Order: sequence, then C-alpha cells, then structure tokens
Amino acid sequence: MSGAFDCKHARLAIGGEPQVLSAEVAQHVATCAACAKFRDETLAMEGRLKAALELPLHRFRGAPEPVRVAPRRFALAASVVLALFVGGGAWLFRPQSALAAELVEHVKDEPGSWQGHEPVTPEALAAVLAKAGVRYDTRFPVTYASPCPFRGHIVPHLVVQTDRGPLTVMVLAHVKSETQGEFTEGAYRGIVLPAGAGSIAVLARDGQDFDSDLAAVLEGVR
Amino acid sequence: MSSAFARLLATLRPDLVRFAFWLARDRAVAEDVVQETLIRAWKSREEIKDPAATRPWLLTIVRREHARLYERKRLPTVDLADVEAQGDPALLASDTSESDAGLDDLRRAIMQLPDEYREPLVMQVLGGLTTAEIGKELGLTQAAVLTRLFRARNRLREIYGLAAAEDVE
Repeated sequence: MSGAFDCKHARLAIGGEPQVLSAEVAQHVATCAACAKFRDETLAMEGRLKAALELPLHRFRGAPEPVRVAPRRFALAASVVLALFVGGGAWLFRPQSALAAELVEHVKDEPGSWQGHEPVTPEALAAVLAKAGVRYDTRFPVTYASPCPFRGHIVPHLVVQTDRGPLTVMVLAHVKSETQGEFTEGAYRGIVLPAGAGSIAVLARDGQDFDSDLAAVLEGVR
Repeated sequence: MSSAFARLLATLRPDLVRFAFWLARDRAVAEDVVQETLIRAWKSREEIKDPAATRPWLLTIVRREHARLYERKRLPTVDLADVEAQGDPALLASDTSESDAGLDDLRRAIMQLPDEYREPLVMQVLGGLTTAEIGKELGLTQAAVLTRLFRARNRLREIYGLAAAEDVE
C-alpha cells in the first residue's frame, strides 16, 4: 500500500479494466507487491476468460450449415386430425384458457404481422419452419413468418392470406394438447388442434370467419 | 455496398452468436436474436458510414434485441441446473482440439454470474467495448460499470483458487 491511491482503489481499477493501466495504478503497483501480484493474476486470468467466452461454434451449432435442423417432426398430419375432428361434428372441448390467453397476447404483441401483403420468400419460410422441424406447404400466400419464443421454445408464427382475410397459424410442436377447441378473447377468435406430439393454433380477428378455410389452411402442415 | 455489407455481416456473425449466447444462455434464443439482428441491420445498412463502426453497432442491436425478447415475450429464465444437466456442448466437455477442463469450469462460472455482472463482462471482453461505451449502453455511470466488472472478475478468481479482493462500496 502506498500513497493516497490505496490498494482498494487500485484493485477496483485493475479488476474493472485489466488492460488499462492508468498512471495512478502504475505508480501504485510499482510500490505495492500485493497489488502487482493481483494485477499479474488478473491479466493471466484475462486470457483464459477471453478463451472461455469465445465458444467453439462448430460444437455450439452442431453443424456448419446455416439453418438448424430441429429434432421433432409432427407424427400426424394436421389434416388427418382435422378430418377426425370435423367428422365429430362439433367443438367438443375448450382449450386451456391460459393457452388461449397466451396465444392472443402473442399475436397482439406483433400487430404488424397482420399488415403484410407480399409473400415471404420460400427460403425465409423454410428457415422459420426448420427451426421447429415442420413443413408447411399451403396454397395460401404466407405474408408473415417469424420464429417466435413461446413457452420457452421457438415456434413458427405465420400469417396466411385467405380470401376472407389474414389468419395467424402457430405451430406448437412442444405444446401437447389432448383435446381441441375454440376460444374467443376480445377481438380474437381461434382454435387449437392437437397434432402429433404438439398442437396447432389458428387465430382470426375482428369477427373474421375461418371455419371454411380451416381445412385448407391446415392441410399443408406436416 | 450491399454485397460488401453482406460479406461483413457473414464475417461478424460468429461473434454475434457468441455474444447473444452469453446474454441469453440459450442456444436457440441466441440464434433467434442474431437472426433478428441481421434482418434489422440489413434494413438499416444505409445508416452505417464507417465499416469500423459496424461491429459495435451490431453488438448493440443484439443486446437490444435480446432485451426486447425478454421484455415483450416474457421468456422463461434459464434454469442453470437444466443447462448443466443437458451437458450443453457449448459449455462442457471440449473436443480434442480444446481439451481443457479448466475452461469448461470457467464457462460454468460465467454462466452463473448474475446478469448485472455477466452482461458488462461479455460486452467488455467479447465485445471490446470500453467502460464508457458499456455505461452508455446500460444506462450506468462509468464508475458503476467499473464496479460491476470488478465484482464479476472477483467472483471468477475463486475458480482459479485465487483470493478475492476486498469488495468496494
């Protein structure tokens, strides 16, 4: 320890910016063996710290290709589920209100998703779908495709343009749903359908009818 | 301009993914954040006049995109026990070219730093930002940034069996 610039301040400066050696710190460490040792240790650790932060991305990503291939795939086409469902003749169950509320909250959070008119490129759509391990070959134009966080997973958030208006389609490969059902939350109306190990949600707003388009919207999900 | 900028983005992408990972501590989220960052950067590419300013500009977008993701989507926080249990290859068991248990321990320790310490540390060491730049980005005084960086390193010293320095007020 020496002078007005004490060890405590010297170590704060060294620990905060090891690579910067101000005149005050330099003067202090020149006369304080303990702080000089502290600085040497900190600098030695700094190289290791940088190496630790520079993650090996070839392991990080698992493969060099730009789009990750997610492990899950829907085992059952949505169209099959829909056929079974429509064959039943009625909405027999209601989805958990929490899920409905989360879906509505999510789409409300992205109001711009409804505004698009230009189809997204096939490459952009493919990249979004690949993240969830699903394919979607719809005859409707997809004007919005975003990989969105939902319940801790990245899911495809799509908007397709039907003759009656835009519909949101969210492929929830990680949200298991034993039942299917309709919900209404404010200006939004939607349906959740079980599909394979997960589920699919379709939402419309402002009273737009989607029943007649539902089969066509969902038949492209694999 | 566009093709040169595209090449620059491709060059910087690995750093952005690493940076995003240390903020999010989640690979999928990190890649999502970077994807969004690159889209935003591309749309705003005319704003960049000095190529040297691109990297800090992109890191700022990554940080803000990450913050936005958590603020708006209320993403669940990462359970460290789960991360460790999954044996994330980004953190554990380095391959033969990087067989270093000490480095893995250090990565685990960095993962466990509180956000308020880990974030400025990553911004400084990986991002190359100065304490003044970090302070501006985080809305902190330079002194506050210095204290957080000091405390971050102080915690990591224990991994090396080094005595921690006396804390500062």
